[in-house]
Amino acid sequence: MTSDEALMLEFQSGSRAAFEELFARYRKPLYGFFGRRLNNPERAEDLAQETFLAVIRAASRYEPRASVRTYLYGIALKLLAAERRKFLTSSTFGQSASEPKTDGTPECVLWVRQAMEKLDAQEREILMLREYEQLSYSEIAELLRIPVNTVRSRLFRSRLALKSYLESEAKTNPALRASAGQPHPGKRGMQ
Amino acid sequence: MSTNRHPIEQEELMAYLDGELPLDRARETSSHVELCPECQTLAADFRGVSQELMAWEVESPEVGIPSEINVALGERLQKREAAKISSPRFHNRVLTSRWVWAGALAIVCVAVGLKLTLTSRNRNDDHSTAYPSMASIEQYLMPDRNAEIAMARSAAPEAISSDARILVLGWRGYETAIEGKNGFVCVVERSWTSPFNSAQFWNPKVRGPVCFNPAAARSILPLTIKRTEMVLGGLSKAQMIDSIKVGFDNKELPTPEPGAMCYMMSRAGYLNDAVGHYVPHLMFYFPPTDKSSWGADLPDSPVTLNPQFQGGPEPITEFVIPVSKWSDGTAAPVM
Repeated sequence: MTSDEALMLEFQSGSRAAFEELFARYRKPLYGFFGRRLNNPERAEDLAQETFLAVIRAASRYEPRASVRTYLYGIALKLLAAERRKFLTSSTFGQSASEPKTDGTPECVLWVRQAMEKLDAQEREILMLREYEQLSYSEIAELLRIPVNTVRSRLFRSRLALKSYLESEAKTNPALRASAGQPHPGKRGMQ
Repeated sequence: MSTNRHPIEQEELMAYLDGELPLDRARETSSHVELCPECQTLAADFRGVSQELMAWEVESPEVGIPSEINVALGERLQKREAAKISSPRFHNRVLTSRWVWAGALAIVCVAVGLKLTLTSRNRNDDHSTAYPSMASIEQYLMPDRNAEIAMARSAAPEAISSDARILVLGWRGYETAIEGKNGFVCVVERSWTSPFNSAQFWNPKVRGPVCFNPAAARSILPLTIKRTEMVLGGLSKAQMIDSIKVGFDNKELPTPEPGAMCYMMSRAGYLNDAVGHYVPHLMFYFPPTDKSSWGADLPDSPVTLNPQFQGGPEPITEFVIPVSKWSDGTAAPVM
């Protein structure tokens, strides 16, 4: 499989196919990135597109010092910050130009979102970059410009806080807890 | 968890689960966790938190490249083409100058630098966080059918696998490549039999040769086939988990039959980026069972509970026992 970085260099050299492949690889992850942070599907789609437009405009400036993944999420984080600045009233996590859409959202998802809201903003961001974008500690450190050890310690704190929150909720609302927990699936073989 | 009793910090345990510890430290951690119920509980808690978070899926609408992007892309490529057309005169002038040699040297340096960077990057790609989504199906298929048959057979000693039915992975799922005579079924599993929250779940390099005995072929193999069909059918992880649960609730999926076990003794396999081909081992399957009934995870016990089945959609307890030889009879490394 051609690496993202090689595709980016091919795109710099004028390959449309290389861009299309990058688009195919990252459209859904970027949509998910914005979708979870803004809770507004339309804006998530727009900003995912904006990210790719920024890549096209700045293609000549890309240098393979950074992985394409980090590069893309770097752009995405900047767009997200700009979006949030536009809507200062949405300083609360999960809000954007519009109120969170909860119609039809499964209860377990609402519950996870509620749990995430309790976290410190930066710790939450680190946790999300790790869990949902599946970035490594060093990639998160690079993106947020903080030391790797800080990433690790904040991630640790956020997971403990989340665990504690989930446990306390489980005690007060066992029915809700039961619906939220996706069981941990098994694996045959030591993989 | 104090370091007096535990040679690892809680934070390190978390980093271990994230695949973020150096290999030697990861091995130490793994050895300790195998023997430490307290750490196992904490590890299960960390995994549980990740599992809870997985409930929050964001379904992206299926769209092609939007027109705005197509337009911007077209404009950029046009500009680039125009720049190329206008460049020959400049290029001709440059060619005659001594700067061409400096330029050539610079290009070579950049190329070497790029290669080094990309090589380094590719190495990093081996890291466990490098598989955020499914690769193209070709990446999971083995182009040489005979090689896949041989790898599947290598899971068990020849006396067993030579008469086993052999499955190979095709575009639509597993298909029988060779009929068997002894009731065993050998197959090379792919990454999606990992836990759903595993960073290796989409690792296209994973090849897990396994030979199921007749009881496991009837009651465990269907789970591999089910997951494979769902993956190739494009289901999301949440959909797969739900489908497995429903399958068990409706009794469409079997529970482990008495005596269900399998051989994983291949030295040719690649189980994940952290352990490579691991060590040869046997695995035994049961409906949910207390690990103490097998003395699993006790000091000096060779039996380990595979924690990845605990609390999963498959109601299975799985015990693992390393063995000393690979399927070809050669000595295996000591754990």
